[in-house]
Amino acid sequence: MMVRTGLTGPFPRSEALVGATRDLDRGRTTPEAVEEAFQAAEREVVHLESRLGFAHVTGGYLRWPDLFRPIAESWEGFAVGPLQRWFETNTFYRQPILLAPPGRAAGALAARLPPACAQDPGRARVVLPGPYTLAGLADNRSGETDEAIVHRLGRLLGEEVADLRARGFATFQFSEPLLVVRPPTGPKAEAVLAGYRAIAAGADHGTTLVWTYGADAAPALGLLEQLPVSAFGIDLAETDPASLPERKGGPGLGLGVVDPRTTLGEDPDEVVRIVRQVYARRRPPSIWLGPGGPLDLLPWEPATRKLHVLAAARQALSEGNRT
Amino acid sequence: MTDRPLFPAQEIGSLAKPRWQLQGVRGEPLDERARGELAAADRGLAFADGFAPARDALLAGRSREVGGDAVRDLGALFALRFFEATGLDRVYDGEARRIEMYEYPIRQMRGFRFQGHVRSFDNKYYLKAAVVDEVRLERPYHVEEFDFVRRHAHAEPKLPITGPYTLADWSYNEHYLARQSGWKGRAARRAAQREFVVDLARRALRPTLSALIDRGCRVIQIDEPAAGTRPDEADLVVEGFNAATEGLDAEFSMHVCYSDYRALLPTLLEAKRCRQWAWEFANRDTEHHDGYEVLGALAEYGDRREVGLGVVDVHRDAVEPPELVAERIRRAVRYLGDPGRIWVNPDCGLRTRSLEVAHAKLAATVAGARLARAEFENPRR
Repeated sequence: MMVRTGLTGPFPRSEALVGATRDLDRGRTTPEAVEEAFQAAEREVVHLESRLGFAHVTGGYLRWPDLFRPIAESWEGFAVGPLQRWFETNTFYRQPILLAPPGRAAGALAARLPPACAQDPGRARVVLPGPYTLAGLADNRSGETDEAIVHRLGRLLGEEVADLRARGFATFQFSEPLLVVRPPTGPKAEAVLAGYRAIAAGADHGTTLVWTYGADAAPALGLLEQLPVSAFGIDLAETDPASLPERKGGPGLGLGVVDPRTTLGEDPDEVVRIVRQVYARRRPPSIWLGPGGPLDLLPWEPATRKLHVLAAARQALSEGNRT
Repeated sequence: MTDRPLFPAQEIGSLAKPRWQLQGVRGEPLDERARGELAAADRGLAFADGFAPARDALLAGRSREVGGDAVRDLGALFALRFFEATGLDRVYDGEARRIEMYEYPIRQMRGFRFQGHVRSFDNKYYLKAAVVDEVRLERPYHVEEFDFVRRHAHAEPKLPITGPYTLADWSYNEHYLARQSGWKGRAARRAAQREFVVDLARRALRPTLSALIDRGCRVIQIDEPAAGTRPDEADLVVEGFNAATEGLDAEFSMHVCYSDYRALLPTLLEAKRCRQWAWEFANRDTEHHDGYEVLGALAEYGDRREVGLGVVDVHRDAVEPPELVAERIRRAVRYLGDPGRIWVNPDCGLRTRSLEVAHAKLAATVAGARLARAEFENPRR
């Protein structure tokens, strides 16, 4: 069983960084001091990811205000809208508003990636919004249908991936909670598939992951299995592992085995048991272990403890492979 | 109260703290602007009568000598008179002594451990605790705060308090989740959350409400802003409300805002001792959308309770003209059928608006209610 671990989205800001950004908003510190706090926290996340044997580094995406903002602020056709609740959480994002059919601003996203990613693109995991979630949570005033927007965003993200590929990046994750929260059917599902075909073309045999969370993935499994990606991830705090149908082959499988909704630490042995149970039913070519959703729903310390659970589970699974 | 006018007006929660209060509580000498605002406010509202030594010391730059508690007393008096001056029938102190609505109640309980900050959005964060043991109340809270308001209010006082579902939703659940056996999936989380909400309601909220009622508190607004986060947990909101108020005699209302109310219905209607729904409407009332149409759902379900009608939007500076407030009231009457069930208020707490804007919005609320009242009391005019 090939098992990889890694962050699947933003990591929380350290308490020092929280203090620095708050102080900046209150006029009590300088932008330079905040920049230092960002760099220190990013170094700490990369250090954790490396020390714990994660497959890739992300730097935690600590500077991104939300998943959509880098695109909403830089791509053509977008504006930044009002605060909206991020699914069933007490956190919020600014809703992207599509005023016109979107267009990509070349290089804009690359410039917003965490410095740790840019410094070592071969080791980096680029985390971007998936086209279905971005389209579905945007306020579409473009005059185009939602299906057309999904397809167009897929094409644009494919171009973005090709651009990043040329800069040395090789692993791309698309966060798609909406795929399981509101599973698409009919023309929307077709648009999702077309979008991911464009992304796969842009990735040029790089690694592509789709990570879902926030709802039971079972109703969306049929579509997820058709996606032309290296692996798709599901949130096991929402999806009953025993409910996954038996299936051999298909894409790799990502398992969200630590829950960012609670500070209660998972038992690594229990994680190992569940992973083995799922593997026995599906035999995917690869297993990707990660958090079941954005870890920034937790403060820094409990989130760090969850990363240690991931590392311990991977180690136990790897040792199990050898025996 | 039989002498209450048609469409009585009430406040709904927090008010921005004046600059002089913030500086005074920190023990800083007031700057020129804060001194000017304090002096002007006292000239207009005469709120510091009886507290002249504290006011004079603040004006003289001797904040440290006054002390935080006395400054907060002045802040509470200011908010009371501020509300009363706009003509509200029910008032509180604008939550002048509170910083937020989560951390303070949690700190009055045992069984919690604060974990650190979580980002709400951008550079805004909140401190979040985990329940790590059974919930136990250290002592009933908001009691001294209410005593002060009761002693000084001229209008009828109404106390807002954070509800058990919201306190649970804004916490991490360790203790009750750990008691669930096996993989901690959705079913286990839900069962654990039910235990947590009910324990909070029975062990912390109910004794606090009981103590407040013993001190003469008759009107209590239970705030459940988290109610709309997971509509499939509306039954937990209700269970918490019912457990918190069981056997208690007061006028209870439930404040829920920025939620899909239809998704919470009809479950929410099982809240037994809730006399009034205080909801936000004005924020969603636009040229293209009737923000009050959800009242039709209450009528469809045959719910006859009072409605605290949000008639001004607390997220916009633009002040609603009284004519618009009156028109919103008329629309609500059409949906509900009975003008006697309607109170008017801002959508939510006004703390995000400047005091000038808050005053103008409250004045518009009262003036709009007066316009509507004249129409309903003299329909041919």
